[in-house]
Amino acid sequence: MSFAVEFDRVARHFGQVRAVDDVSLQIAEGSFFAMLGPSGSGKTTCLRLISGFERPTAGQVRIFGDRADTLPPNRRPVNTVFQDYALFPHLSVRDNVAYGLMVRGQNKASRRDAAENMLTLVKLDGYGDRKPAQLSGGQRQRVALARALVNKPKVLLLDEPLGALDLKLREAMQDELKALQKSLGITFVFVTHDQGEALSMADTVAVFNDGKIVQLGTPEDIYQRPRTRFVADFVGSANVLPPEFCSSLDLARSWASLRAEAISLTAPGRGQVDGTLTGTRYLGAVNRLSVRVGKTELSADIPAHAPVPAPGATVGLTWDARALHRMEEG
Amino acid sequence: MATHRLTNPLSDMFWRRPRVLLALLLAPPLLWLGVVYIGSLAALLLQSFFSIDEFSGLINYEFTLKTYGELLRPANYDIVLRTTLMAAAVTVASAVIAFPIAFYAARYAKGRMKAFFYLAVMLPLWSSYLVKVYAWKLILAKEGILTWAVDGIGASAALNALLSLPVIGGNSLSVSYIGTFLVFLYVWLPYMILPLQASLERVPANLLEASDDLGASRGQTLRHVILPLAMPGMIAGSIFTFSLTLGDYIIPQIVGSSRNFIGQAVYAHQGTAGNIPLAAAFAVVPIVIMGVYLWMAKRKGAFDAL
Repeated sequence: MSFAVEFDRVARHFGQVRAVDDVSLQIAEGSFFAMLGPSGSGKTTCLRLISGFERPTAGQVRIFGDRADTLPPNRRPVNTVFQDYALFPHLSVRDNVAYGLMVRGQNKASRRDAAENMLTLVKLDGYGDRKPAQLSGGQRQRVALARALVNKPKVLLLDEPLGALDLKLREAMQDELKALQKSLGITFVFVTHDQGEALSMADTVAVFNDGKIVQLGTPEDIYQRPRTRFVADFVGSANVLPPEFCSSLDLARSWASLRAEAISLTAPGRGQVDGTLTGTRYLGAVNRLSVRVGKTELSADIPAHAPVPAPGATVGLTWDARALHRMEEG
Repeated sequence: MATHRLTNPLSDMFWRRPRVLLALLLAPPLLWLGVVYIGSLAALLLQSFFSIDEFSGLINYEFTLKTYGELLRPANYDIVLRTTLMAAAVTVASAVIAFPIAFYAARYAKGRMKAFFYLAVMLPLWSSYLVKVYAWKLILAKEGILTWAVDGIGASAALNALLSLPVIGGNSLSVSYIGTFLVFLYVWLPYMILPLQASLERVPANLLEASDDLGASRGQTLRHVILPLAMPGMIAGSIFTFSLTLGDYIIPQIVGSSRNFIGQAVYAHQGTAGNIPLAAAFAVVPIVIMGVYLWMAKRKGAFDAL
């Protein structure tokens, strides 16, 4: 089987810094692939290794089975939506979109048509004559998308594509990107530090830390079954429990994660552990309680309509044994 | 209850009427600009509409276009044409030479290299203009170092061929238009490099990556992205090189054939010849040429990227 993008033991070092450290990965054709990680984790460098703006120190990058790391960016069958869009300020929206066709020598009439069609696809018909400076952030994002897609890339790379947009627009664009990817069938690879974005859009998520992929899996895998403590911390959905906590429950000593919504409240002595309620935060659908158990602070989500004990009260916490998920230290 | 004096009537007034403050602050520079600068320019313009009585040599204070008509006489017209062509040649050559230097400084030079660049570009501006021009006269002279060096590498045939070209050639570089051109180029080059470098520095690196990513070759990126975005800087630089060459009267006097440039004509007419109206009319020529030049540049979209 051929993959859209393949990394074969790829490394990229900047002096002593190993930005990408011996990464192997396969991105399936037609998938929506997210590279998730904090800044400096190597995810952007990986994207730039695909686009060609970085060359690997070691290893091979293949795009649809063909060796790509020897090709310059302008000869790779991929296009990029840049973080701050990188639209050409001196060109109209239409000329921006048609740029890739122009440099390939397509004639004016046909590239103009192609650009207009692409603008219609991203819901910007009628904006062709404007300059990028006359558009809002969301509109510029769409132009950047159209400018990349008009070249019919085999892989579309998106570098923090929604980072500069406000929350509401970001959510709308997430849905649109997802729908666009489905209808075009192009492989999308996007880089983000926003776990919500990665989990809601991608089919497959690679979580990066220190130049390595620490977990690769479906959003559900990442969310439900973080492989290491780092993933659980970074995805941020769960209580991260230290080894002492497991020991105190007479379980094998290891790090574990336990999602807040998996915990319910019970009378003291009736649950797995007892703790002291230290605070409550109202989150709309649920109340998030902070409960101190020994040295560990646990979050427990209880339905908003359920009664909340007074701060300082001793409460029992209970959960389904399967909800406690063991992890590596990492 | 103790009252603290927290108010200052004057600053309160300025706060309530910000335009008063603005007017006060702007008045001195505006007066300077209006009276000294625009005023003298207007006086010049006015002079050019007077004429000189050919017999008495006195100025006739009646409005006429006669003096401008004088400019069209072959001798005067040649001066205008010669100066404009020289200014254009110097400008184009400056842009061609300045671009790679400015590009290197803007994109690649870092730290000490950048400091060296600024120093190298600015250093010639710190020494006297006259010293530099006389130095060039010596360099370009028939017995000068350049002839000697060209001889040394056995290329004197090429130099002689260059000097034997009609019009721009001459007895030696120091008495030819080529010599004048080289000195102009040397003296005004920094005025092209600096604005060009500033404008290239403002071209975001990710635009170059975007162009590359979209399939453009380096040449296409240069033509479709870098040059259009650097154009305002190049225009700014060309305003300097073009207008400075148009107005200069010292370089062509020291280095070059003895034929006049506009600056020399202005100098001669307002001085020994005592023909202030014609001097004024000559002085208006560069202003008009620059106006036309900028108008054309604007129409061509040179400022679109601003």
